[in-house]
Amino acid sequence: MKKLTLIITILTAIGISSCKKGFLDESVNPNAPGTTTLASSLTSAEKGAADIVNGWGSYTLTNWVYSPYAVWGGYWIQNPSGYISDALFTQYSIQTNTLNFPWTDLYQNLSNINIMQVNSTTVTPNPNYEAIALVLKAYDFEQLVDNYNNVPYSQAFQGVSNLTPAYDSGASIYADLIKQMDNAIKLINTAAAANPDVTPGSDDIIFQGNMTNWKKFANTMKLRLILRQSNTSGFSAIAADLASTASEGYLDGTTQATAQPGYVLGDAFGGQESPFYLNYGLRPNGSTTLYGNDYYLANQFCVNLMNGFSDTSRLIKFYATVDGSNDPTQVIGAFNGSTNIPAALSKIGPGLLNATAPAVLFSGAESLFLQAEAANRGLISGSAVTYYDAGITASFEALGLTDAQAAAYYGQPSTQLGAYGDHTILASIIVQKYIALNGYGAFEAYNEYRRTGYPAIPRSQNTAALGSSTGGASGIGQLPSRIFYPQIEYSTNPAAVAAQPAATVENEFTSLIFWAKQY
Amino acid sequence: MKKLLLVSLCFLMLSITQVFAQNRTVTGTVKAKDDGLPIPGVTVKIKGTSIGTQTDNAGKYSLVVPNGSTLVFSFIGYTTQQLTPGGAVVNVTLSSSSNQLGEVVVTGALGIKKQAREVAYATTRITGANADQTNVINPINGLTGKVAGLVIQQTNDGIDPSIKVNLRGSRSLLGNNNALFVLDGVPVSSSVIASLNPNDIADYNILNGSGAAALYGSEASNGAIIITTKKGTADGKPVIIYTNSLQLQQVANLPKTQSSYGQYGGEGNYSLVGFPASTNFIDPITGYGKFVPYENELWGPAFNGETVTEGHYQPGGSGALLTVPYTAQKTNPVKAFFQTGVTEQNDINYAQGDNKNSFNFDIQDAHVKGILPEDASDRISTRLGVSRTYGIFRIDLNTNYTRNTISTTGGLDYIGNNNLYANLLQFPANLNINAPYFKDVNADSNAAGSWGTPSNYFSGYSTNPWWTVENNRTNIQRDIFSGNMLLTLTPTKWLDAAYRVSDYFGTFNEKNTVAGVIFEPYAINDGFAQDFGLDPTSFPNGIAPRVTDISGYGDGTASIVNTAGAIPNFIPGNGTGMARLQGDATLNFHHKFNDWNTSLLIGNTIWEEKMNYTYDSEERLLVPGLYNQLYNEQTPTLYTATGTIRQVDFFGDLNVGYKDWAFLEATLRNDQDSRLAPSVNSFWYPSVKLSVIPTDIFPTLKSNVLDYMKLYVDDSRVGQVSLPPYSINPTFEITSGFPFSGLSGLGTSGTLYPPGLKPEQITEIEGGIDLGLFNDRINVKGDFYNTKSRNQTLSITTSPATGYNNSVINAGEVQNQGVEFSANAIVFQKGANSIGWSVGGNVSYNTNKVVSLIGNQKQLTLGSTANGQADIDAVVGKSYPQIFTTDFIRDPQGHEVVDPVLGTGTVSPTLVDEGGATPKVNLGLNTGLSYKFVTLNIVAEYRGGSIIYNGIGPEMTFAGSDYFSSQAGRSIFIVPNSVLETSPGVYVKNTTVPTFNGGLNYWVEPGSPSTVGSTYVTSADFWKIREVSLDFKLDQFINKTGVIKGLTLGLDARNLFTFLPKSEMWGDPELSDASTSVSSGNATGASNSAANSSNYQLPSSRYFGAKLQVTF
Repeated sequence: MKKLTLIITILTAIGISSCKKGFLDESVNPNAPGTTTLASSLTSAEKGAADIVNGWGSYTLTNWVYSPYAVWGGYWIQNPSGYISDALFTQYSIQTNTLNFPWTDLYQNLSNINIMQVNSTTVTPNPNYEAIALVLKAYDFEQLVDNYNNVPYSQAFQGVSNLTPAYDSGASIYADLIKQMDNAIKLINTAAAANPDVTPGSDDIIFQGNMTNWKKFANTMKLRLILRQSNTSGFSAIAADLASTASEGYLDGTTQATAQPGYVLGDAFGGQESPFYLNYGLRPNGSTTLYGNDYYLANQFCVNLMNGFSDTSRLIKFYATVDGSNDPTQVIGAFNGSTNIPAALSKIGPGLLNATAPAVLFSGAESLFLQAEAANRGLISGSAVTYYDAGITASFEALGLTDAQAAAYYGQPSTQLGAYGDHTILASIIVQKYIALNGYGAFEAYNEYRRTGYPAIPRSQNTAALGSSTGGASGIGQLPSRIFYPQIEYSTNPAAVAAQPAATVENEFTSLIFWAKQY
Repeated sequence: MKKLLLVSLCFLMLSITQVFAQNRTVTGTVKAKDDGLPIPGVTVKIKGTSIGTQTDNAGKYSLVVPNGSTLVFSFIGYTTQQLTPGGAVVNVTLSSSSNQLGEVVVTGALGIKKQAREVAYATTRITGANADQTNVINPINGLTGKVAGLVIQQTNDGIDPSIKVNLRGSRSLLGNNNALFVLDGVPVSSSVIASLNPNDIADYNILNGSGAAALYGSEASNGAIIITTKKGTADGKPVIIYTNSLQLQQVANLPKTQSSYGQYGGEGNYSLVGFPASTNFIDPITGYGKFVPYENELWGPAFNGETVTEGHYQPGGSGALLTVPYTAQKTNPVKAFFQTGVTEQNDINYAQGDNKNSFNFDIQDAHVKGILPEDASDRISTRLGVSRTYGIFRIDLNTNYTRNTISTTGGLDYIGNNNLYANLLQFPANLNINAPYFKDVNADSNAAGSWGTPSNYFSGYSTNPWWTVENNRTNIQRDIFSGNMLLTLTPTKWLDAAYRVSDYFGTFNEKNTVAGVIFEPYAINDGFAQDFGLDPTSFPNGIAPRVTDISGYGDGTASIVNTAGAIPNFIPGNGTGMARLQGDATLNFHHKFNDWNTSLLIGNTIWEEKMNYTYDSEERLLVPGLYNQLYNEQTPTLYTATGTIRQVDFFGDLNVGYKDWAFLEATLRNDQDSRLAPSVNSFWYPSVKLSVIPTDIFPTLKSNVLDYMKLYVDDSRVGQVSLPPYSINPTFEITSGFPFSGLSGLGTSGTLYPPGLKPEQITEIEGGIDLGLFNDRINVKGDFYNTKSRNQTLSITTSPATGYNNSVINAGEVQNQGVEFSANAIVFQKGANSIGWSVGGNVSYNTNKVVSLIGNQKQLTLGSTANGQADIDAVVGKSYPQIFTTDFIRDPQGHEVVDPVLGTGTVSPTLVDEGGATPKVNLGLNTGLSYKFVTLNIVAEYRGGSIIYNGIGPEMTFAGSDYFSSQAGRSIFIVPNSVLETSPGVYVKNTTVPTFNGGLNYWVEPGSPSTVGSTYVTSADFWKIREVSLDFKLDQFINKTGVIKGLTLGLDARNLFTFLPKSEMWGDPELSDASTSVSSGNATGASNSAANSSNYQLPSSRYFGAKLQVTF
């Protein structure tokens, strides 16, 4: 028996000694990073946010995220020849699986921002990164609400501990986002007082660590979140909150929220062009992307609108002339769903297609038009006209045009505040914002259309178009008031999505985002 | 060691009395016929007396024998032999017995041999020779149809075929379901087995259940196939065997094609889009399509014997177009393109040894010329097996090295659109695919008659298959080494101690090169070039050359290489793709206490698996003919990955036998696995097994009919880790577009692996009966099993709002229940030079059922075919995997509801459950007939109870090359069994409304049969005559004193006949390499496909061969 004990001991010893500490510790993945830094997260999140709003879903690798809004909203039409005409654009025919991209891309980007936020408060505390996380979160969550209304917010990003997050109401999300903007400003101010040097650097591809600008971005986000609720009953109470941070200032023509990681014209790493160009431009080898350079063409509505203001200098920037000249009469569009198609139609113009240009998240023009509206409503100080003119100037400058051209433009009687449409000041502001948002801002322009009914965007001329030809926001006929929750929610989070408006044609046109204009 | 074990058993079981008598002393050695080694412990008795002795460790005996008496040599597992000594030395060779059921020796876990009567689980032994009757290249193919419950599915054919091996159904939804291979006592990857020379294998033992393999731990949860290689001889004399075999391979069971219609693609109806009617390719009178000479779709008019020109109406270099009769060729191009494959194997085996040493060396060369032109494979294997005994110490060493070089046609064509087979299926029947001008693909396009070049090839939308053969090559080299060394120490009678170290590793190198193409100016606007874009930067008007290199270290395959990303594409379990180093230490105690015979094995196993690979693919090479990634104008597409898995295991195995008729075995094992989080990485699992021999307990049961009965039952539990390494911690990925100048961007990978993941847990209850009837001339075995697999590791899609698009969770349960039977009967026992006839059969019936999924979820989609027509699902209460397809809207009786005007159906948005993809019934039949020196063996196999979605179908219908869509003569017809809905819910049989069109518009356009998955669902049942072999053993005609001592000639055929249901006109349903997104390959059986991908499926083949074996 002694022998036996001895042998067992030896055997066990062999087993255990060969199983020295760490032998089974193979959890560190040598093939992919298991951790990230605040800097890498920030760069990724900022690029991701810029990608989505410019139409490029860098997670789903989908490159037409917001282009339906550009077509429905009167900027573009889908190329009617050479492709099978898509009912999505001309008939407003959408399914739960038609427009999954903003949902998945926004939540993926938000997941990254959330990781950065958690790391900035726990792993490597840094209030500046935390503040940026709050601003970017608001930027992406606002888009989720504006697309879908109620979405998971308070229960999001909990992984396996909550695989079926409940939906929060759009209004409550907006309310919290506004608070978070105040928090962001507070964090930056506190950080600056405590340790002014600990800011992001080149990893911040939006402001290069300029935290004053981040406060302006936060404050402008707050302005947009508040003004968007102008139709809601509690608006005046909500708007009163603007005053508390008014002194922080807002984005303007010289301080715009644009991302520039160093875009170049190149195929490398899935495409390194500015995201708008990546969608709609020509690749370096001359080939087009999947929905390439000639998939979207000029919509006659926007062309007519701009010609109505004699806006020829911006017109040939937004749309390419069909003969390659600088002759604005050679900008030719067609109405969405029209059967009367001219032989040649204008493509997206050279003012938008710049492979190396910074990607716009929040333009100075948009901010100035928001300020014009806020001033007009008496919510901030200053003159609405001054902001309005500055907004137009900023739009001209962004296209490489001169201040003089801008001045000539806003000096016209037709562009005076209150001269357009129903002669309200709001109509003038929103329609000039609409023109300024051409391209990268198609989604925001559509949001403002749904809020205000400006400009009077016509319905598709396709006789098979869904929805009513009367009764829309502008009174001329319905445009889709929302898109459906994506199919992935129906299959993975069915109970939560079942409590929301169903994916019916009826709801596509009548279920409203909480801030939308009632009709 | 096996003999030592047997010796000890013998000592304990037999009561020997040696009686001294007069007369002489006879001495000799007893050896085994199969390996020539001496057998210790053989009982040598004088017939009719109780006088006898036993052979010693060297197999020697000495016995005083009265004159004229007969000696009886008996030993468990061997046929008893009787001899009357003629001299003082009587050497005896015993052949192993396969008839005496209870005494057959079975190799179980860790190479431990047992008597069959002790074994309480289903097991089947097949000898190496029996498995290699038809000279297979992959040894496992030779087991097909021979073992109840073992399903070997050849999932693809060609020069580098792939197989899947499954025992008792699919236990894991997304994890590994392949049986474990154990070579000479140690687990090895299937690629190591595939690299073995079938001639080297002595025998296979198939352990069907997870319980049988409980000692191998988590890896053997799907059963095990235990393979033992040959040993040297024992008589000191060298034996050299030379074997040569030659086999011809012919494609069989091609999808059924039409040979009646030529080219027309349907989009020639330009007047619909505003062009003059004169540009139409529509006959204004008949309304049918006209011949369109540059089309790839075969929807044109019927062949009429007229002369037509082929190609685009563009001035070719020579100005002329190919002129051919509009008449079908004698042989359909699909069949004509495949050539007869030739496989030649040369094998030399040298064996020598004595009672202490054994030496076996084998070298084999297998050269294959494939069924596709220019496909070739060459495999050289060498094996060395040696052993030596020094007193109580014994060492066994086995090494194998194989190099396999393969040259085959690569995947997608230069456009990156279709593979060779898909292009072949679009080739019109009126053209001669083997015409020299089609073969000369690299000719000068400006030369007359160069109709095979990309610029001049007639079709604007497909690639000349010969271009792919010539210019798109994949060259593979695999080097695989495997070896193991076993040290055994037998210090006392009651103890063996053993330590084994084993290793296998391989390297693979694969290079795919695709030549560039420069189009002539007149061809630039040809369909393809225009549709897919050219590479104008370095190759104006052309497509640049491409190259893909894959190289790595692992088990010699590229199976884990993920060509889509940086994360290895690990298929969990069984070390697929990885190299392995393992050490096993065991102590085996055995002792007999009166009637109680006990043994206890305790052991420890430590193993480590490793892999790494580099994948580099470049699509824009600069220099034609130079396939070097450096000379490329794009950023490299480079992936590299490495991986390690480690496991430390402890196990114990207690055996208690009572009076040789009751046996109890209990095992306990603990695994610690590096893939799991430290807090949960250690898991235990036990098994208990009991077998009894009623015929020995109650000898009265024995009769003329029944002479042996065994009953057994076992209950076991096994854990299985179905996780890739490094999957318990989330990772980050480089965000698309990064790195930008000096900036990195990292985002979540989108997949969540919770750290608390546990192993899948498999419990199995098994019971069975073995019967020996009519003096062991009929053996019957039967068993039932019930396996439950809980805690499935599932990768599920999650709401992006959780922060992740996918999560891996433990949930779900799968149940497999089944019965397995096999029976073998010797109809005529072969005596000298007379007739022998044996018949055998085996059948297994498996019902596989998903018991639960996640929470209350009833259905989980695990993947879908590339064309989206079919989904592979797990459905609660149904078998797994279940095929769901799109379907037409049907009335409650299942008739297709057709439009009252168009006569066509409407596609239903809901996917319809078509049935299960795994055969429920597997039946194998075999018979052996011998007369004098001639032996005939036949093996037939049936599989039934499953369906297949024929993914090749829609591709063929699109191309118009299938027989299916030409059945109605391309004319309008009333859809069979269709109904009209006269008012809501009221259906009448449609006898009046034919389809609006009988051609492309009906068959291919959206909403047509080819867009509906259910169109292509057929039964996957088949009967195959797997093996026929006729051997002539000519030893008796040879002068034994000469150099040549033995001669065998053989003729053989494999897959000689295949019988399929009539509806299955798309080829052999066995070859179903599911082209779905189910990553672990668990949807095998779900779909066959020509597929527009780089992995395509070839038709199955039949083989005819001849063999010559010479023994020196």
